[in-house]
Amino acid sequence: MGLPLTISELVVPGGKGRVLLSLPKLELPAGALVGVRGPSGAGKSTLLYALAGLLEAEGSIRWGETELLRLGAERRTRFRADNIGMIFQDFLLFEELDAGANAALTALFRPRRERAAMRLRASKRLSALGLGDHAGRHVSSFSGGERQRVAIARAMAAEAPVLLADEPTASLDRASADRLIDDLVHLARDSGTTLIAVSHDRHLTDRMDRVLTITDGALLGDEATAA
Amino acid sequence: MSDLWYSLPALAQDIALTFALLLPALLVGALVLRGFAPWPLTRAILWRFRGASVMFVLLIAISVGMGIGLLAQERGLRRGTAQAADKFDLVVSAPGSELSVMLAAVFLQPTDMPLLDGATYDEIASHENVSVAAPLAFGDSYGDAPVIGTTAEFARDLADDRIEGRMWQASDEALAGALVPLGVGESFTPAHGHGDAAEGDAHGDAHLRIVGRMAPTGTPWDRAILLPVEAVWEVHGLANGHAPERAGQIGPPFDPDYFPGTPAVVVRAEALWANYALRSEFTRDRETMAFFPGAVLAGLYAVLGDIRQVMSLMALVTQGLVAASVLLGLFILSRLFRRQIALLRALGAPARFVFAVVWSFGAALLVAGAGLGLLTGVAAASVLSRVVTARTDILVTAPIGWSEIHFLAGFVSLTLLLSLLPAAIVLRQQVVDGLRA
Ligand SMILES: Nc1ncnc2c1ncn2[C@@H]1O[C@H](COP(=O)(O)OP(=O)(O)OP(=O)(O)O)[C@@H](O)[C@H]1O
Ligand SMILES: [Mg+2]
Repeated sequence: MGLPLTISELVVPGGKGRVLLSLPKLELPAGALVGVRGPSGAGKSTLLYALAGLLEAEGSIRWGETELLRLGAERRTRFRADNIGMIFQDFLLFEELDAGANAALTALFRPRRERAAMRLRASKRLSALGLGDHAGRHVSSFSGGERQRVAIARAMAAEAPVLLADEPTASLDRASADRLIDDLVHLARDSGTTLIAVSHDRHLTDRMDRVLTITDGALLGDEATAA
Repeated sequence: MSDLWYSLPALAQDIALTFALLLPALLVGALVLRGFAPWPLTRAILWRFRGASVMFVLLIAISVGMGIGLLAQERGLRRGTAQAADKFDLVVSAPGSELSVMLAAVFLQPTDMPLLDGATYDEIASHENVSVAAPLAFGDSYGDAPVIGTTAEFARDLADDRIEGRMWQASDEALAGALVPLGVGESFTPAHGHGDAAEGDAHGDAHLRIVGRMAPTGTPWDRAILLPVEAVWEVHGLANGHAPERAGQIGPPFDPDYFPGTPAVVVRAEALWANYALRSEFTRDRETMAFFPGAVLAGLYAVLGDIRQVMSLMALVTQGLVAASVLLGLFILSRLFRRQIALLRALGAPARFVFAVVWSFGAALLVAGAGLGLLTGVAAASVLSRVVTARTDILVTAPIGWSEIHFLAGFVSLTLLLSLLPAAIVLRQQVVDGLRA
């Protein structure tokens, strides 16, 4: 099951007195599907990094019972490993490994007894995303859409309760993007995962429960969608 | 504890020391890697930077190999020279430089030496503690081969009694060393002097015949032709060491009145302790000088010992520098996979896992380089030995010994510890900066 999110008085500083992002209040229930949009440079990626505990910030980010900003670096890393799956705008795969190994990457630093189960889940995700027959191929020979799906399988292999996705459909053609959106939404809904997806793509944001609009580091809009 | 240590056999000590040297690195490795499986990523990184990795491994291998090869070679040279002096317990000559007499008598380097007269020789030979007193007569040559007059007893001793053919029985018979290009039955005429200065026709009427060949000794004597000392004297038109009524005699005892002189006498005592007494007895100002070639060599090694230490230090420093540049290279490479490192962190990889990946990459290069370096060292040492043996006729074998293994273990251990540094530096980079890079 997903984790609920409670943010209050969040300020992410950018050095020299600048504020990259400020969010006085935001509450999301567990299992919510949330889109984030806004112009380039608005602070959308910054929001995702902050939610993953990768940035120093003031205020409070609470995932379920965990006050993220109070944790030290290693405990945050641990929290990420256990609770957050991340999908990056530009895939970030290990080109020298095959799709299966990339999807099961986090098994390498899991306790030995969990590794086999993790690999199994990763390969199931790959199959669910239509890459089951290509798990043994090096990702360097994959197309953009295939890479993005490997990245999604990797983010979901741990069955983390939270999924953070940054422009998952950028650089994909319409048909592939739609297939990908379908997969993402189904996987999230089926498992009750809390999904926060940054996207300019209306096809994606239309499928979410809510859409946040961020401009110049501030939350300017928060709408429920028709779906 | 130290009692226990000294009670261990040498082999066990050597193995234990090697292990002790490697222990810090093994412990650190175990600590860094425990519970993780970084190898797929290590392999991936090695493969991505395969060109640079191969260069690093070769660099380490060559520097390690040269260090090891030189150290082994130096030891082999010491052992070879010491072994060449083995048969020369005590040498008595006219006073002068012990070193040049040793070079002349043991290593057959041509030198002009004053002679000991018959009375002195007789005194040595008839001393109650002396069992063998062999005169050595240098100065003639045949081609590259020095021609040396001595006694049958000493020649037999040199060859460990392994003579193909037979010992000489007359003053026109000779033995060839193992490397002399003369077969049994062939004749030759010795020239006066050595090399270019040799006068080929000085002994024009002397024809000597090889009657036996000596087994290899691994010393410059393998190039020499040995003959009865009487033959050398006769060839030079001198008395042959025996009174006219015994003119046909070959070998001791010699008659002091008919003894033309010898530059050096090799002495063997009845008992080991007697050597020291003999040495002090025949060390006389102006008359004679007595010394142990082994001790002269030991003195030489003591001087060279400092050089060996400088050499070891230089080898260590060179290898340290190579290792440092490899580590620097690792660090530069790690900047190239900065995004991947940031990715691992973002996916929740603990710091120690990132450490494990970067460190095992460095460790793979260092261990491969050290292993290849050991092989390079063995090859370098054997090539060098062959060259030195060919040049000096001193049999030098330079197998890699435990001191080289310890040297290598120390190097591997130290550099494995040092390669924690690039790993630590990589970890200090900001994750988000790495992701945005
Ligand atoms: N470490 C930093 N220091 C200063 N400014 C930063 C830092 N990191 C990001 N920024 C700035 O913060 C702003 C928000 O960046 P962010 O990456 O969140 O934008 P974004 O909304 O994701 O834009 P895009 O849609 O182009 O990806 C940008 O103007 C960026 O230049
Ligand atoms: Mg962005």
